[in-house]
Amino acid sequence: MSNQKLQLPLRLLLGAIAGFLPFLSVRAESPKVTAVLSNSQVAVDQVVRLDIRVVGASDARPPQNIATDGLDIHYTGQAQESHITFGTGGMQSSTDVTFTYTILPLKSGTFKIPPQTIQVGGHSFQTPELQLNVVGSNAGTAGQGRGNPNGSTAHTSGAKVAFAELIVTKKSAYVGEMVPVEVRLGFYSQTARPADGPEITGRGFTMQKLQQSEQPRLENINGKPYEVLTFKTAIAAARPGKFEIGPVQAGAIVAVPRRQSSSRGRSPFDIFNMDDPFADPFGVFGQQQQKITIKSEPATLEVKPLPPNAPSDFSGAIGNFTMNVEASPKSVQTGDPITVTATVAGRGNFDRVTAPTLQDDGGWHKYPPSSKFKQDDDVGISGSKTFETVLSPNEKKQAIPAFGFSFFDPLTEKYVSLRSDAIPIKVEGGRVAAASAPAPAKNTAAPTATATAAPQASATPSDILYQLNDRLKAAESFTPLYLRGTFWLAQLIPLLALLGFGSWKIRQAHLQNKEALRTATLQQEAAELMRKLRRDQSAPREYYADASRAVQVKTALAANSDPNGVDAEVAARTFRLDEKAQTRLRQLFERSDEARYSGSSNGFDGIPTEERREILDLIDHLQA
Amino acid sequence: MKFGTHLIHRCVLLAGILALATSALADSDAQFTRANQEYGEGEFKEAIGDYETIVHSGTWTAALFYNLGNAYFRTRDFGRAILNYERALALEPNHPETPANLRVARDEARALELLPDWPQRFLRFTTSTQATVMAAILFWIGAFLLAAYLFSRRRRLIALALCLFVAAALLIYVMMASENGKKGRSLAVVLDGDVQARLATADTAAAVLALPPGTEIRVEQQRGDWVYADLPNNLRGWIPAKSVERVRL
Repeated sequence: MSNQKLQLPLRLLLGAIAGFLPFLSVRAESPKVTAVLSNSQVAVDQVVRLDIRVVGASDARPPQNIATDGLDIHYTGQAQESHITFGTGGMQSSTDVTFTYTILPLKSGTFKIPPQTIQVGGHSFQTPELQLNVVGSNAGTAGQGRGNPNGSTAHTSGAKVAFAELIVTKKSAYVGEMVPVEVRLGFYSQTARPADGPEITGRGFTMQKLQQSEQPRLENINGKPYEVLTFKTAIAAARPGKFEIGPVQAGAIVAVPRRQSSSRGRSPFDIFNMDDPFADPFGVFGQQQQKITIKSEPATLEVKPLPPNAPSDFSGAIGNFTMNVEASPKSVQTGDPITVTATVAGRGNFDRVTAPTLQDDGGWHKYPPSSKFKQDDDVGISGSKTFETVLSPNEKKQAIPAFGFSFFDPLTEKYVSLRSDAIPIKVEGGRVAAASAPAPAKNTAAPTATATAAPQASATPSDILYQLNDRLKAAESFTPLYLRGTFWLAQLIPLLALLGFGSWKIRQAHLQNKEALRTATLQQEAAELMRKLRRDQSAPREYYADASRAVQVKTALAANSDPNGVDAEVAARTFRLDEKAQTRLRQLFERSDEARYSGSSNGFDGIPTEERREILDLIDHLQA
Repeated sequence: MKFGTHLIHRCVLLAGILALATSALADSDAQFTRANQEYGEGEFKEAIGDYETIVHSGTWTAALFYNLGNAYFRTRDFGRAILNYERALALEPNHPETPANLRVARDEARALELLPDWPQRFLRFTTSTQATVMAAILFWIGAFLLAAYLFSRRRRLIALALCLFVAAALLIYVMMASENGKKGRSLAVVLDGDVQARLATADTAAAVLALPPGTEIRVEQQRGDWVYADLPNNLRGWIPAKSVERVRL
């Protein structure tokens, strides 16, 4: 029984939660599709990764075959991420899917990977076109059969037990352009291991922090197994000219054969050669550890200056970018803030990407933007930067003007200016008062205020209305009326009136009840008297008394009066009797009085039947 | 005899209190006039001092806060100017001069406003006091009709009474919602410049929104030296308590 009682509220609660969840859970955004290459310039036979990322959808279907002549592209799998965030708009959830492909360049050249169609929930989205520069294979870098596009050769040390490679993917770049750089350190698996991380030396450029891009990988180079570590970074030249990058230096621990003969004599007490902590007295360990430095050859980079005639809003961004601008809310009052979110996405030097500028800021208040960068790769040259700018309209507006962003595209060697579309909005309310705000008409009509000219009002700011000289009223209170004691005290007046009204109505009802009771009694008495008169058994004295009483009662009922005060005249008047009936009624009352006061029948021994019938007829016909 | 003596004592005491109250009102009137003169002579800081003294004495009027707002405006303290204009409007929502000056001050300060929620938009056609009186009248008429129905049993009376009760209840709900809404009793104004609303109660926490002086906020709660507030643009954040002041005293 108790379980059943519990089940109903529980079901109701679960139902309410189930009904409410869809309102709580809001999809963060509409799906977006991006495609990123792990490297835009590689050598032949060097594998590149292509990531197609679908943000905000889990049911996306990837393209299975991406055909590009000269590139061998294979789908390798997908990864899915779900995010739940709690913000001012409630709980937001999103799911991102990343489809990964490996690209193996088969020949050198510039390849364009065409836009790919991604199906998401019945809608089609397209990836941007990607460009991959493949340079020729450079065999002979330490005999590992690996390309080195800039001719920077790796130097091996320690009898090729370890090597370092510096790969700069471009031979020429523009000032400020991010150039990806890869460092590979190889260690012969049986005799060498890494000691210190790599360092790139050089001047005239800035460099991102070196990031180890993946776990050490075992590679077979010239029939020998090498453990290869890959580090990635990006550099940007600060001025034009020819730069030497590198060499790369790194430390390695190698095992070298131990020297068995010693030039110095051993102590006769040191039978186990214990003065050398690395000694191998039993000859079990035939090798010893030695730290060496491995060094690559430097690479050269020719840096060109940016072309002249840059757009006015160019801030130094170099790369390839797209821009998306959104605004919220879209229906506001004048003076209310609108948050404009501008996202610049793509590949390039994001540290120089600044907020898109408003093309026409007339009639708008603009506040400094905030920015957030989300990188898509290890070194931060691919990703998206989001700017949030708060705008406030001063007057009625139909749309937020276009935003502009300019960058230099090193591939086309041209400046590109992006312009967003104007965003339609609805601004209600009048114009926000400007510096010369006129006084509204109603202000001049203030009935009880005494206006005086603003003193020394020529000083800025001078556009407010005058001072009031009268305080106008008694002290007021910020407390709402319904929270004040006086208000509730005042409610006693209608309450008392209501109580008085109720009492009056109750009294009236009581009085009406009394009258009804009296009427009922009289009716009952009249009926009883008529029954007695019809029985024809009573003595004349009693009969006349009953008959006259019956007339009195019927008259009292008709005239709403006291029956004892009714006589023949009153009854005749009440019932508007004719002359004959009046005479009979008078006779009836006289006989009754005679019989009541004479003390005997006074000659009336009996009442003839005819007379009884006439009396009954007379009384029956008494109708008001 | 003893009762008569007590009565006389009480009358004297009441008269004394009345005399003191009258004297205080007369004093504040004199101070108000003096402050206006100081304002007229361009001595805005002195005028502010005198107006503030009257405010602290508790004799508040819309005209007093309006004049005080003007004095702060002249000293370019737009945060406090807007605060006092808001107070004038809180006391007298239909005060004729205040909205114009408030708009100018907001424009100067680039202050942000809270969007009024629907009960406040509804109540812009009337004032809280008028709505309260209307609700009381509707309620009592309904009560009388209900009483009449109980004695007469006429169905029309009960239907009319129910309609009036519903109307009174709606008015009361709107008033309560307005009182607890964005521009209700928790409305506050940012006084200082360079105030940032932050994600946490620390000066080093990430900023949510820069708040120009005079910006309206709705205080949700106070924790130590910080207040958590609703901000314009449907944001929320922590603000140093010393940088904001509630509109209602």
